[in-house]
Amino acid sequence: MSAHEILTLQFGHYSNYVGAHWWNVQEAGFRYDSPSEINHDVLFREGVTLKNEVTFTPRLLLVDLKGSLKTLPQEGELYSLPSQSAPDQVEIIAQPPEEKNEFQKDIETNATLTKIYDLERQVRVWSDFLYTRFHPRTVNTVQEYQHDNENTPFDIFPLGANLWKKDQFSEDFSDKIRNYIEECNSFQGFHILCDSTDAFAGITVSCLEHLNDDYDTKPVLGFPLVQPSTNPIHLLNLALCFDGFAEHSSLFVPLTSKPPQFNYIAPNPDLKYHTSAILAATLDTLSLNYRLKSAKNTLIDVCSDFATNGRKVATASVCLPFPLKTNEDFIDCLNTWEGHLSQSVTPWCDINPDNSLQLVVLRGIPERRLKKPPNLAEKQRNYPAYRCNDLKEMLSYFIVCTSYGTKSEVTVCGEQMAVKTPFPGFFTERVGNTGDIDGGRSGPVEKINTLAGLHTGKFVGTMLETLSQELEKIKYKKYHQFVSEGVENDQFRECFDRLLDLKDCYEDNYLI
Amino acid sequence: MAISLLNPKAEVARAAQALAVNISAAKGIQDVMKSNLGPKGTMKMLVSGAGDIKITKDGNVLLHEMQIQHPTASLIARASTAQDDMTGDGTTSTVLVIGELLKQADILIGEGLHPRVVTEGFDKARAKTLEILDSIKIAIEINRENLLDVARTSLRTKVHQILANVLADVCVDAVLAIKSKDKPVDLHMVELMEMQHKTETDTTLIKGLVLDHGSRHPDMPKRLKNCYILTCNVSMEYEKSEVNSGFFYKTAEEREKMVQAEREFIEQRVKKVIALKKKLCDGTDKSFVVINQKGIDPMSLDLLAKEGIMALRRAKRRNMERLALACGGIALNHFDDMQESQLGYAGVVYEHVLGENKYTFVEECKIPQSVTILIKGPNKHTLTQIKDAVRDGLRAINNAIEDKALIPGAGAFEVTAHKELMAYKDTVKGKSRLGIGAYAEALLVIPKVLATNSGFDAQDTIVKLQEESRNNKEPIGLDLASGQPINPKDAGIFDNYIVKKQIINSCSVIASNLLLVDEIMRAGMSSLKG
Ligand SMILES: Nc1ncnc2c1ncn2[C@@H]1O[C@H](COP(=O)(O)OP(=O)(O)OP(=O)(O)O)[C@@H](O)[C@H]1O
Ligand SMILES: [Mg+2]
Repeated sequence: MSAHEILTLQFGHYSNYVGAHWWNVQEAGFRYDSPSEINHDVLFREGVTLKNEVTFTPRLLLVDLKGSLKTLPQEGELYSLPSQSAPDQVEIIAQPPEEKNEFQKDIETNATLTKIYDLERQVRVWSDFLYTRFHPRTVNTVQEYQHDNENTPFDIFPLGANLWKKDQFSEDFSDKIRNYIEECNSFQGFHILCDSTDAFAGITVSCLEHLNDDYDTKPVLGFPLVQPSTNPIHLLNLALCFDGFAEHSSLFVPLTSKPPQFNYIAPNPDLKYHTSAILAATLDTLSLNYRLKSAKNTLIDVCSDFATNGRKVATASVCLPFPLKTNEDFIDCLNTWEGHLSQSVTPWCDINPDNSLQLVVLRGIPERRLKKPPNLAEKQRNYPAYRCNDLKEMLSYFIVCTSYGTKSEVTVCGEQMAVKTPFPGFFTERVGNTGDIDGGRSGPVEKINTLAGLHTGKFVGTMLETLSQELEKIKYKKYHQFVSEGVENDQFRECFDRLLDLKDCYEDNYLI
Repeated sequence: MAISLLNPKAEVARAAQALAVNISAAKGIQDVMKSNLGPKGTMKMLVSGAGDIKITKDGNVLLHEMQIQHPTASLIARASTAQDDMTGDGTTSTVLVIGELLKQADILIGEGLHPRVVTEGFDKARAKTLEILDSIKIAIEINRENLLDVARTSLRTKVHQILANVLADVCVDAVLAIKSKDKPVDLHMVELMEMQHKTETDTTLIKGLVLDHGSRHPDMPKRLKNCYILTCNVSMEYEKSEVNSGFFYKTAEEREKMVQAEREFIEQRVKKVIALKKKLCDGTDKSFVVINQKGIDPMSLDLLAKEGIMALRRAKRRNMERLALACGGIALNHFDDMQESQLGYAGVVYEHVLGENKYTFVEECKIPQSVTILIKGPNKHTLTQIKDAVRDGLRAINNAIEDKALIPGAGAFEVTAHKELMAYKDTVKGKSRLGIGAYAEALLVIPKVLATNSGFDAQDTIVKLQEESRNNKEPIGLDLASGQPINPKDAGIFDNYIVKKQIINSCSVIASNLLLVDEIMRAGMSSLKG
């Protein structure tokens, strides 16, 4: 069967954290013995090295600053040929070699990765916990700006936009985009992750314009990552970023780096390594809607339904892990459920399922745990949901019963999410080894069930309003660094106004 | 690469100290760059913490790779990379001259001269030096020999001599191929294509185009002769559009119907191409190639393959223009009323596969006005090094064409300028003449470093060059092999006029800014932003 290929673009350091987890999780879930429900060809590609070895790597381009890679060689290791001795008469200027952490050393020596690694303390950059190996074209570094160096701040939108204007960067980058797409037989569109509060937003928006020019029929689903902040510079970058997505993407879903409270995980909110894992789990689950082998949808279906009437922004939520108790059936779980199914991971946004359009994905629970057969069902037979014959039907029924005026599309996938190392072990004691609650545990959690949602409704308007109010407080004329790099004051005014217009698209209660 | 010299704690120095700090930062960056200058400069191999390798002799590349911490050093670095953006050359010289101007100024200021007076002198000297530059330039005829001289001079400062000679030929022939009378040359019409294969001296000029992709159908021909080339920007792939997508608002039947209609529409397009091919090629020895900027899906590829048509999808935008120039014809935006005259021609089109990479060669074009330099090398860092060198070579050639003139190299310009500035100094009244002298002295850093890099004593060499220059009307430079004076004209060593001009201008401005540092501090560092 042919895959509908997606190309993923990641712009910025935090985006690469999220991406690193996401690729890790996918690779940890590869099945080599039995067929998978998931079509991994959608996000990965098969290749051959010059030595004729077959590779399977993410269809991915990422951008980060010089000095952010630490131990990761730019071209990766998969395609490298035996290195040759240095030519005569060269002066060697070597930086001190970066020391690999224990986890990376074990990958190198093919050791089994079953130890407990102290990644919480050892991770300085995303490549420190990266398991997946990349294609040589994947990694792009910005040479002009140094990672984590206050002398070369890459902190305002126009710096990124100006970088794109320099021939070389955009030419190389767009060539690589084209190289990936040319290989695809049935390319369906783009995933874009970007840091939205610094100059990476500027590169991203310029790249979006390019995608619009050259691939106008291909949908772009954007995930701007937001570090909630009251810093005016961050907010101005964010405004320009959202404005760019609103104009050039098909749909975008802001995600927050500040996680909500969950019942069964205890992430450290200050650790990128932790917070990014939550977002990766959300994206991995949510995207199953169009990544299953049985999927009827592609990106454009999702984007065009959600973005009807100019509603270019949507919100996301996750339930991590989905708390099915040991010995409990899905029907029991729903029956005792309190509150919303999942928690918002979009900033400034409480999701209310009423009067909304949503896409919900449930993964990991086998159909046999739907309910008991009639002879053993006992109480369950009294529940109205007992007549539902599969998970999808029951979850849809639950949503209909617990919300008002909501239109939902439910997707179910039986494969659990693999959360072995290097995924953070931030689960509470009650989470069992295979994700059941109160199942008892020895050693780390290996697999979990999850649920994630994509939503649109009035609450999106509320989010945009909150943002607009923050923006109105900013005396943007004071931030002359934007002007000296080419953003005019008028542009801010127009941008704020457009965000208000965008907000107005969500006034109407009747979505359907 | 972290260079400790460039890395003093980023203190906000008080004005008095600021100058000293600036000078030491300038020295630091100068020390790193010095050994690059000229053909005898040392090749540098940069190894990153993760083991990435970069080999270069180019000042610009080096500056981009360095982690420069000190704001002054990074200001100098930015000035000289800006130099490279504008002219493609002269970064090392810029760093050296700025550093030397500051050193010379430091001596005068130490003796009590006000920085402002020094900069006044610099400014007069700059104006005079530009005059000298104009008087020394050699008008040239644009022909292969002259262009080869400047290309060789440039390339030999970047790669070893044998390779430099190969690349000089390739670059000159490339530019001559695309140059049309009296129109400015568009270097974009020289495509640079990398192939990780064989060795660097196998780099060649293809009088046509090399594309970095091939056909995506197993039954398509891999080699065709006598080809019509249809270049187009027309989608030949079935895609869902917003109209026929979504799951909430449309039923499966509605969607299926629209899908069917869309598929037929695409098929009609493909059939138009096939019909044209049949009309023009069937019964002849001609064949048909489609090169499309948009996508072509497997179903369309299948139809085309059955007709023996070779079809490539997702060609780069710029190649549409290049193809038209290389093969003739025009890039079509639709397939209505296609004419033979809209097609291009190539004697041969064939595919080459290397691992997962495919290349398509479009060759034997009639009068190709767009060509490809096919860069070969055994590994990525060699390819990058050659690509950088080729870019520099092309720009040197193009600069020469635009300037219609060259400057004698090997330090000849600097020695001459020094001589004439010293004479000019005597005609200027007031203390600013000291600045003129300092400026003249600073220019000599170029021949001095060229000498040192070749293993000769800087002082001895300068004395020899100056003696010879005094007795000789012609500009005198340094023979790096013997350490003796030569006439660079005889040795074919030439630099670009525009590059020298740019160096003179930017060095004086930056050095003066750094000298007037207390005033700059008052104006705020942001005014230094490049
Ligand atoms: N064969 C040669 N003999 C003597 N001097 C030469 C020769 N070839 C070039 N030069 C001199 O070398 C200098 C240029 O060196 P080089 O190209 O390394 O530095 P640059 O142009 O200042 O900086 P960049 O690294 O940007 O090219 C010029 O002054 C030129 O005249
Ligand atoms: Mg040079």
